[in-house]
Amino acid sequence: MTRQRRVAVASPQTRLALARRRTGVRADLPHLPHLPHLAPADLERARRMHRAQLRRALVAVALLAALIIGLPALLAVLPWLDEVRIAGVAVSWLAVAVLPYPALVLLARWQLRRAEQVERSGGEP
Amino acid sequence: MTAVAIALVVLATLLIGARGVAAIRSTPDFLVASRRISPTLNAAAVSGEYLSAASFLGVAGLVVKDGIGALWYGVGFTAGYIAMLALVAAPMRRTGALTVPDFAEARLGSAGLRKLSAVAVLVIATLYLVPQFKAAGLVLTVVSGTPYWVGVVVAGTAVSITLALGGMRAATYVQAFQFGLKLLLFIVPAIWLVLQVSPDTRREALSPVEFTRFERPTPVEFRLDVELTITEPTPVTISGQAPRVLPPGEYPAEAGSTWTFAEGAAVPGVQGALPPGGPGWSRPLLDPNDAGYPLLATLSVLVATVLGTMGLPHIIVRFHTSADGRGARRTAAITVALLSAFYLFPVVYGLLGAVLLPELFLSAGTDTVVVALPARVDSGWVGSLFTALLSAGAFAAFLATSLGLLLALSGAVSHDLLPGATVRRLRFTTLGAAVCVVALALPSAYLDVGVLVTSAFAVAASTFCPLLVLGIWWSRLTAPGAIVGMVVGLVSSAGVIGLGFFLAPPPGLVAILLGQPALWSVPLAFVTMVLVSLGGRPPAWANAAMLRLHLDETERRRR
Repeated sequence: MTRQRRVAVASPQTRLALARRRTGVRADLPHLPHLPHLAPADLERARRMHRAQLRRALVAVALLAALIIGLPALLAVLPWLDEVRIAGVAVSWLAVAVLPYPALVLLARWQLRRAEQVERSGGEP
Repeated sequence: MTAVAIALVVLATLLIGARGVAAIRSTPDFLVASRRISPTLNAAAVSGEYLSAASFLGVAGLVVKDGIGALWYGVGFTAGYIAMLALVAAPMRRTGALTVPDFAEARLGSAGLRKLSAVAVLVIATLYLVPQFKAAGLVLTVVSGTPYWVGVVVAGTAVSITLALGGMRAATYVQAFQFGLKLLLFIVPAIWLVLQVSPDTRREALSPVEFTRFERPTPVEFRLDVELTITEPTPVTISGQAPRVLPPGEYPAEAGSTWTFAEGAAVPGVQGALPPGGPGWSRPLLDPNDAGYPLLATLSVLVATVLGTMGLPHIIVRFHTSADGRGARRTAAITVALLSAFYLFPVVYGLLGAVLLPELFLSAGTDTVVVALPARVDSGWVGSLFTALLSAGAFAAFLATSLGLLLALSGAVSHDLLPGATVRRLRFTTLGAAVCVVALALPSAYLDVGVLVTSAFAVAASTFCPLLVLGIWWSRLTAPGAIVGMVVGLVSSAGVIGLGFFLAPPPGLVAILLGQPALWSVPLAFVTMVLVSLGGRPPAWANAAMLRLHLDETERRRR
């Protein structure tokens, strides 16, 4: 059984104030809750993760942009889609009322898997 | 019956609030439930908090008013969680910050930025709260027949009492239950309506024709003063007086009066609204008032909603109840699926409303279409039952979102703007905030719920989106860069929306750029933040402060 790390729930400001009162450290430096600085091994891993996650996040955001910019643009330049009907419903109506949702769910699922995959592999390609 | 249903919702919330009192011990307890919860439950809680009166009533109302293009609101409201999932959820959770002001100080170590962020929270929460109170007041008005201001004050009182007795937020499962309740109360009546209406109505709903003549004697209840333009002699009965024929001209319809238009009478014109079913109405792009820039208007709403979601103060706090960064990311992904299920249904109310209750556009009452439909379809007890269910759902949506927002707002005031928060002061600030919002909601009766909420998203997208995205992914961001960028974003969103409101430019390009500025204000804020940051030097610890947000828990747990 893995034990969950217990983390105190208090805002950084509260922590900062408490730390200051105890140690008299300067207030203008942030005293980050878990890791005020990164150990060399962590630093290397964090760098790899940052790079890998950024690349995947940008691809996901680009796909999202393609969907939500591309679809309205497509409907704007192809007005005849209003006339084409599937089961009595205009295709262009389906394109805004129904189609985006399964696409969004699939995109979310895909991005979630990729992000977790990076964490499993430690950011190695 | 409807009053009973709403009373039950309020009573349940009150009881939960009362039970929550015992659990509150310190400020962090009040702001977030300290317990760690599974991603699915947390996603339901996020959705419960997120689905506001604007989603429950506003989207369908905008469909009746502006057409099929209004459905893009639902798409944007959902797609925002993908931006959150990809860019913000996991790293934000790892900062340990409960709010954006907390994040700003943890990442950039600037107290000034913290205060500025708190001001942005104030603006966003207010813009988001006012339409919630407007919608709640409107629902109570429709249900009980009281004037609009009574509805708003009653809604404000219900929220204040709940808050005074204890934050509802203490219990995530309550919000999760709220989501289930709202989904049920929205979907079941929608299915009933579709089955109940005649096949002809269903056909008309899918092939709309412009609303130019009243097809039956139609009573229109005016709850606000409206100026009507009559273009041909129109037979009408005003508030029970003798029927008469009005010659062409301008007529003021006073609040509280009921005009019954005769069958076959021409539909009068109203300033700032077009009759449903017209040629622009059935186009799948947003073109309010036929301004002539449908693609531009649609994209600016989408940019605001997609990028604004990550900066909503009441939502960010919810992600903190995830166990870790990975849990927060999963929560965001599941939220996309849950919201998708909900947003498939506003179209049902919108299309049926445009056919069965097109006259709502005359009385600026399109926001009430969801609660007004059941009575129009069935005048017996079944119709009343569904009206009651929908009103209860709308009120639940109002309560859930308003409570979360009021807490976030008062948290920003008492925690970030004033030093040394106590539970007692947090409660007083919350009550004060509720009073201010009620005062603002009273004169906002004419504003569309969905449009106002989108302004809140535009401000969040122009201030918090650049701060969070650059703060999480770019180590060279400096505190001065973030401050200047936030100020530019705040002025070019909130400031410009306010300016557009007072100038009231005619429909057209200027009106869109002023009313929905996200399309240019978000890139402007990003560019400002980057350029000012490049001009300065980030402190030595900035790199570690950013990179630690990407160090995942799997690694830490292994050691």
